[in-house]
Amino acid sequence: MAEAVFYYYGSAGDTFLKNLVYIKGTNKGLVLQLDDQCSYTDLLKELQAKVSDPALEGSAEVQISLGNRYCTEAQIKEITEVTQKGTELQVVGVKSDVLTVAECNQRVLEQQSETYVGIVRSGQVVKADGDLVVVGDVNPNGRIVAGGNIYVLGRLKGIAHAGANGNRDAVIAASWLEATHLQIDDMLEIMTDELTVLSEQPEMECAYLHKSGSIIIDRLQELRFLRPEISTFKGGS
Amino acid sequence: MGEAIVITSGKGGVGKTTTTANLGTALALQGKKVCLIDTDIGLRNLDVILGLENRIIYDLIDVLEGRCKVHQALVKDKRFDDMLYLLPAAQTADKNDVNPEQMKELVTELKKDYDFVIIDCPAGIEQGYKNAVAGADKAIVVTTPEISAVRDADRIIGLLELEENIEPPKLIINRIRQHLMNSGESMDVNEITTHLSIDLLGIVADEESVISSSNRGEPVVMDPTNRAAIGYRNIARRILGESVPLMTMDKKNQNFFSKVKSIFAKS
Repeated sequence: MAEAVFYYYGSAGDTFLKNLVYIKGTNKGLVLQLDDQCSYTDLLKELQAKVSDPALEGSAEVQISLGNRYCTEAQIKEITEVTQKGTELQVVGVKSDVLTVAECNQRVLEQQSETYVGIVRSGQVVKADGDLVVVGDVNPNGRIVAGGNIYVLGRLKGIAHAGANGNRDAVIAASWLEATHLQIDDMLEIMTDELTVLSEQPEMECAYLHKSGSIIIDRLQELRFLRPEISTFKGGS
Repeated sequence: MGEAIVITSGKGGVGKTTTTANLGTALALQGKKVCLIDTDIGLRNLDVILGLENRIIYDLIDVLEGRCKVHQALVKDKRFDDMLYLLPAAQTADKNDVNPEQMKELVTELKKDYDFVIIDCPAGIEQGYKNAVAGADKAIVVTTPEISAVRDADRIIGLLELEENIEPPKLIINRIRQHLMNSGESMDVNEITTHLSIDLLGIVADEESVISSSNRGEPVVMDPTNRAAIGYRNIARRILGESVPLMTMDKKNQNFFSKVKSIFAKS
């Protein structure tokens, strides 16, 4: 994609600046590209100088790109504070190209699918980091929790919580969707009789979080239009 | 070596003790040597239903604490020619005075001398339940067609399935009122078994005579014409390996004419 890119190398006379911070203007807004080889203290010092440059006026939303530098939560917070302090810049995102092994493992787990064959009975909890496939029923007061999507080949009559780690695109699909509670990320829906979204026939349905912020139940067949990214299948003819 | 069966339900008042008394009696009537153990320490009832209350000398706690031998504490039911015995619960102790290891040891001991050791479990899922299931080889879950009882049965089945030494539990649906099932006002037998997805061992009709005979200290199963008694007798026969079809709950006295009519109504 062709992007209009402008570079500002700081105003002339800033001799101490080593060009550790590039301010890049893209058609999506400003990006602060931080050098990933220098020391963290140097970087912070230069960042402070750059953002307080009077040439950079007006309010703007900025993205911060850390490149191949790993920053702790505290450091990211510090960088954000330095950028926003005394300026009208608003940090909308911090990106880094590196991950810790722990974070990487967690991501792998979240992308895996786990299968539970059996009945989740009252008082039992089945948890998965990624997607969860339950082959069997989930009885009332039984609870299933997944970081990703939930698929139940059987009757879902208990409590299902998908996207438990903050994935608002997660869905809950079941051969028989008659849950008492459905939760996606932090949005909990109590399936009472008054609820109009509940159809007469609970067979082959899926639940997802609508843009409006409420949980919607639709036919299972609609899932391919609602969440096409769930499909990982490649190839075929 | 006999087998130990625990009768449990989770919820109270669904008929665990009545079922224990009647199944024990039915098995004894079939010529098996049966020992019933009441594990509801502090709230014992089984002795009352069997009419053995005033014959108790020692109890379960006395046996476990070594104050007497097992055979001294066992109360013999004289009605069934040395076939039915009861080990009563203590009334002056509580459930925490027993631990699962002691129970296991006791049940193993009793299994040597009896064909069936039937353990009456208290309501709940706490210490009393843990003690009751500790020595069991098989489990029977009793429920009624009420939703609350079915929910608790589901919970207890989940717990029983975690027990490695116990075979998959079997279900008894007690206190069936056919007119409520027919009108859809209570869950029907099919609904309950699909919901709980375990094997159905039998169904027992809700009969007032169960209450009156329990009050007299005579298990209802002794009356072979009673519908509840037939239910219990069928269950006992299934436990012994016979295949007995599920009894029909419909009209008590179907005369010839109505039978003919119902045949035509079906086709």
